[in-house]
Amino acid sequence: MNNDTLLDAQGLCVDFFTEEGIAHAVQNVSFSVKKGQTFALVGESGCGKSVTALSIMQLVPDPPGKIVAGQINFDGRNLVELSEKCMRAVRGNRIAMIFQEPMTSLNPVYTVGEQIVEAIQLHQKKSETEAWNLAVEVLRQVQIPDPAQRVIEYPHQMSGGMRQRVMIAMAISCKPQLLIADEPTTALDVTIQAQILDLLGELQQQNKMSILLITHDLGIVEERASEVAVMYASKIAEKSDCKSLFDKPLHPYTQGLLKSLPRVGFSGKRLHTISGVVPDPLHFPTGCKFHPRCPIGCTDKRCQTIEPQLRKVEGGREVACWYAPGYEKHDDPKL
Amino acid sequence: MTKPEKQHKEWGISYGEMVWREFTKSKFIVVWLGFIVLLFLLAIFAPFLANDKPFIIKIDGQLRFPLFRDLNATDYSIFLAAAVGLVQILLICRNRRSIDPSIRSGVLWRQIFINMLIIVVGIILLYYFIPRRLDATDYKSMITSGKASGAVFAPVPYGYGRTDLKVRESPPNSQHWLGTDDVGSDVLCRLIHGSRISLSVGFVAVGISSIIGIIIGAMLGYSGGKLDFLGMRLVEIMMAVPVFFLIITIVAFFPRSLFNIMLIIGLTTWTEDARFVRAEFLKLRRQDFVQAAISLGLPLRSILFRHMLPNAIAPVLVNATFGIAGAIFIEAALSFLGFGVAPPTPSWGQILSLGVSTTGRFLWWLTLFPGLAIFFTVLAYNLVGEALRDAIDPRLRIAT
Repeated sequence: MNNDTLLDAQGLCVDFFTEEGIAHAVQNVSFSVKKGQTFALVGESGCGKSVTALSIMQLVPDPPGKIVAGQINFDGRNLVELSEKCMRAVRGNRIAMIFQEPMTSLNPVYTVGEQIVEAIQLHQKKSETEAWNLAVEVLRQVQIPDPAQRVIEYPHQMSGGMRQRVMIAMAISCKPQLLIADEPTTALDVTIQAQILDLLGELQQQNKMSILLITHDLGIVEERASEVAVMYASKIAEKSDCKSLFDKPLHPYTQGLLKSLPRVGFSGKRLHTISGVVPDPLHFPTGCKFHPRCPIGCTDKRCQTIEPQLRKVEGGREVACWYAPGYEKHDDPKL
Repeated sequence: MTKPEKQHKEWGISYGEMVWREFTKSKFIVVWLGFIVLLFLLAIFAPFLANDKPFIIKIDGQLRFPLFRDLNATDYSIFLAAAVGLVQILLICRNRRSIDPSIRSGVLWRQIFINMLIIVVGIILLYYFIPRRLDATDYKSMITSGKASGAVFAPVPYGYGRTDLKVRESPPNSQHWLGTDDVGSDVLCRLIHGSRISLSVGFVAVGISSIIGIIIGAMLGYSGGKLDFLGMRLVEIMMAVPVFFLIITIVAFFPRSLFNIMLIIGLTTWTEDARFVRAEFLKLRRQDFVQAAISLGLPLRSILFRHMLPNAIAPVLVNATFGIAGAIFIEAALSFLGFGVAPPTPSWGQILSLGVSTTGRFLWWLTLFPGLAIFFTVLAYNLVGEALRDAIDPRLRIAT
């Protein structure tokens, strides 16, 4: 772990012990987030990206979930081994999180000011008046008009975009080093989406924080992220810097995803789809988990029986596919 | 970003205010609410409304104030609690208008805590310092015999413990507006003083049951899993026991005191509240704002009581209103059956029972008036509870 790495997850495995059996929600996931940069985690619903985020915050619902292996190093400390009390000092203060659904992420019985002030006073020694002034200040930072009035209003008096801004204000009120944004724009209008993302970018510049962006929207990733990991069925399928991933996707799943994106100047034929559905985490297919939906691997014996592990290929990129160029040359079992 | 900001700031409408507005929309309910307030005033000022001791009397040329001297620690405690309660309501109204957020935020709980402390400490001190006086002087005979003069009596000039066998079992007349009972006590006086018993039983019993219900429900709902499963089975066993017969059995074993009755009703009726709170907590535990609160690093205490409980309290509040009516009813029934508070402490159910049991005759004024009092009080609480439920329900549907 070198100096400009803020968060480093190594071999993270999260299992859910359900009545039907053990569901491997996250399997052997490793990635690192650099200081001041945006790392994007992309994938379909249920691929394990949200669970990965929750495990960084140590918020995986237990029972039934449990982090069974791996470590998450944040600023020299392994979060997995941290006690609940130490973890509370990290949550909100060093690592903050924005949730997907702004309509339900604020407590309806308190004014937004009361909720921001509680977070501020928890992590910083500030008098009530100072905390209120700071709350107004962060609301101004997230570009809420007339923050001194909004701070004494209740969530039900605000629109979805406004509430998401409040959530962001709450998250950045303690100047965290890492902001986990779990699908921050999924529930918002497209116009508001762009505003929120611009805002996040600005705040990132101002506060020099890193963002772990979790999304299924590749358009956002292309614009905002510097590094990307594509997750499929609990594992990372491909990890790369943003530009080369969009220029030349290596994994067939990534290729499929990119082909399914509508582009400006798109000729009007039907959009490409990846056939099939995401496998059930209780019954993953043998071999490569993507092989039943893969245009190359569905007939290949090797793909059906042996699962490819994530390996470094040229350009510092990592991919888990037998057919990726340069994959078989690197027989280094370490990665 | 540098637009001129509005000068006049106004607090948003809170959830509680929305419910209150919805609740008071109907004038019908406001009337019943007024009836309950009236009952409370009656109970608080009972010694000033019905008392055989005069406010002022001149004995041997000296002015005396027997009624005020006769007030005991219980009376003063009730006055103290009422005064502090009134102050709290005024404070809430003042806070509502306050525009300085740093003054308003979090102040409410501090105020409530301080006021509770004042009440508890005050009551202990009052009971410690105010001696029990027994003033058995018959001021009325002093006036008729000419020893004293210039007396000002309460509107109902009879004490609830005073017996007067000359006028026993007399129907309503100009002296005793609602008649007298089997030992010649004035029924109106006993009804007024009995309202204290009924209301306090209602409130304290429901207070006890709500607190137990909330704590157990919150614990089971938040923890989930095996503890929740076992706990809920225990609660179901409790619910299967017919509470009224359990109460009668327990009351038969313990001394007949008001406190015991409150405690027993409270300890046996918490299951409903526990179920409501558990259900709400199970739902809330996975809500986004609770998850968000956890992800901000808030301690469990704050999550449970600051963020979850206020969102789960609505059904408990509604249930409490019905519970008060139920407790008043249980107390009346216990007193009617002879398991209630010991005479001469007046209670509505006890007066009611005198009308039929003692002589085999049916004394209509002894059953009608306390019966009406119980009927209207229970009706008022039930109507208010129902209106509260209706006021909360649509909000729950569109609540965010």
